[in-house]
Amino acid sequence: MVSLFIIIPFVLAAFLPLIEKVSKRFLPDLLTNLAILFLLIYSMTFGYQVVASHSGIRHFQWFNQNLNIVFALDGFSLFMLFAIYLVSFGVTLFSIDYMEHYGSKGIFYALFMIMVGGMSGLVLATDLFTIYVFLEVAAISSYGLVAYGLKHDELEASFKYLALSAVATAFLLLGIALIFSITGSLKLGDIADRFFKEDAKFIMYICTGFFIFGFGLKAALVPFHSWLPDAHPSAPAPISAMLSGLLIKVSGVYALTRIFLNVFGLTPAVSTVLMYLGIISILVGAVLALGQDDIKRMLAYSSISQVGYIILGFGAGTSFAIMGALFHILNHALAKGLLFLNSGSVEHSTGTRDLNKMGGLGKRMPITAATTVVGSLSVAGVPPLNGFWSKLFIIIGLLQARAYGFAFVAVLASIITLWYYIIIQRRAFFGKLKETLQNVKEVPFWMALSTLLIALVCIIIGIGFPVVISKWITPAVNILEYGIRYAMQYLRL
Amino acid sequence: MQELYLISLCALVFFSVLAVLLKDLLKAALSLMAASVFLAVVLFFMKAYYAGVFEISVVAGLITVLFVSTIGLTRGDDFKESKLPVYIFPLFFIWFIIIDILIMYLLLSKMPPLTKWLSESGKFGDVLWQKRTFDLFAQIGIIFAGVFSVLALFRKRDKND
Amino acid sequence: MINLPNDFYLNLIFAFILFFIGLYCLLSMRNLIKLLIGIEIIAKGVTLALISASSVKGLILTGQSLVITFIVVEVCAIAVALALVINLYRHTGSLDVKKLTKLRG
Repeated sequence: MVSLFIIIPFVLAAFLPLIEKVSKRFLPDLLTNLAILFLLIYSMTFGYQVVASHSGIRHFQWFNQNLNIVFALDGFSLFMLFAIYLVSFGVTLFSIDYMEHYGSKGIFYALFMIMVGGMSGLVLATDLFTIYVFLEVAAISSYGLVAYGLKHDELEASFKYLALSAVATAFLLLGIALIFSITGSLKLGDIADRFFKEDAKFIMYICTGFFIFGFGLKAALVPFHSWLPDAHPSAPAPISAMLSGLLIKVSGVYALTRIFLNVFGLTPAVSTVLMYLGIISILVGAVLALGQDDIKRMLAYSSISQVGYIILGFGAGTSFAIMGALFHILNHALAKGLLFLNSGSVEHSTGTRDLNKMGGLGKRMPITAATTVVGSLSVAGVPPLNGFWSKLFIIIGLLQARAYGFAFVAVLASIITLWYYIIIQRRAFFGKLKETLQNVKEVPFWMALSTLLIALVCIIIGIGFPVVISKWITPAVNILEYGIRYAMQYLRL
Repeated sequence: MQELYLISLCALVFFSVLAVLLKDLLKAALSLMAASVFLAVVLFFMKAYYAGVFEISVVAGLITVLFVSTIGLTRGDDFKESKLPVYIFPLFFIWFIIIDILIMYLLLSKMPPLTKWLSESGKFGDVLWQKRTFDLFAQIGIIFAGVFSVLALFRKRDKND
Repeated sequence: MINLPNDFYLNLIFAFILFFIGLYCLLSMRNLIKLLIGIEIIAKGVTLALISASSVKGLILTGQSLVITFIVVEVCAIAVALALVINLYRHTGSLDVKKLTKLRG
């Protein structure tokens, strides 16, 4: 049943605050981890079978009555689901120890599960308005989670994030209303069909503008990025990992890609706009990351830069570029999730996020230091780690599209990326141990285990990338390359 | 009828402007409520009765209650809002209305004819349940997210935090 | 004979005006609650646009279900935002957005 991907998170979330009354820590930890692990395995077995047998469109059955709930589980959605659950599993493992001192774990996990459920729903939905509603499910729970520490800057960051998101989603809805006035239907397939048949190019361009603003703000592309460097560092570390690793990709990049590639069709104008947005994000994010002292802010700016690579790849639109962009979604989710979790480990042990106050932590926290090296090198794109391959594919794709200038800047920016990750390593983990940090200890068991697991997955994907590409990414690339014909054929139910 | 429709649209805009420009927060919240009521009237004119009732009961009612109680809880802070935005507002406003009408005129020439080729019959409840079931499903998630976020924001921290 | 309530362009003009008022409020005001009022006004513009878009197609029942879902979303977002405002007020004793300068994007 495809519906389990949404039902399990929502049902568990409904009961977690009650379960908390019985068992304060043990049961919420156990149930959340089991649920996410189950969903991960379920997406790898059942989900994979559904996609392989090309029976991706499912109606939700309820007492043998066909309700109008349609799930589209195709290669692209399945790939996103897989990425969501893989990173979420690392994050929930990490939360067992990390969230101890925040209090009321039940509500934390409930909000977390709703965010996961919202993202799953967004990925499975075939209706434009439903996509919007699930986007809000994930967004509203993330406002609560960003402010979870209840300190001043957390509240402030959450408020800023909320205000900007509200404006962005209002513009999305304006676009949806315009589309509805033309097509009279909100199914993605119907929209693709009517825009293809009727001569409504002008309205389509207006809606394109609204959607680029709305989803671009969710994805933190550069002119609309100002909320991200506040919101992501302020949240508790597991939530930073979720937001930076997944939420901006699912509610921004996935929705943008699905609509522009499958529904509107990638016209040369849109392609150019996306490529410019991508390249500007890459450069601005990388340059701003260089000047940061706060380790989490540096990672947040790096996220802006890496999302730029993904959008650049999708904008270029050649098969290699799309493949690289999809692969980069997974790789960046894993590596950036890992780095944010490690920044949480450092904050947990030393009580600070300021790079000036760190130094020589590698001797006291060997696991954290080693996994940070893996994550940094992966994001920076050093072979043979996973990030290298995805960036390589994006650059090959750009060369195929004859965008030589873009390819050059992309390579240049990845050198800047390597540079600021070396800065993190040198200032935090290498060198002499500071006097104030003599009593620092390695993090508790579950935190260490989760970071080790994610680092291991990064290395495995890096070495075994041909398998990942042929098994998980090629189906998604096929769907995106099929373009609007895919939506017109399959997403009309 | 037509004049009444235009008047309620203008009243909607007028009370929205008041809600922005009034200095006293309580009065601003009340004009927001008035704007909601006029929006509901506009919805009634378009035969959107259920949405209108919802707008009155939830937006004009519940949200106003939320606003007023928040204003009550945060009294004691009377910093001076600068007056410049209030004075220059009419300038921008008129400028924007002209541009807005121009854009719409342009749009009118480019839009395909909006034909009313579908008509819906049946009960509202059936349409909501049969056509938009997935949204109702998602609404459960929205309500959970809102409730748990508010609970998280007002939770008591343990002493040893 | 034009039927004003179903004139899509007239409604759209008013929806854009509401958007403008809301955005103006967000950009120029300093009070946190005023900012939320601005968001509410934008939401009214959205409601108007959605209903008139569905009314022009004769799909008013679908349009109403969209609007009701949207209103639920709006209420939840505003409730969370007001909870944030109350918490912020407890920290700073002020509703001035200019005092929230700990973070700079």
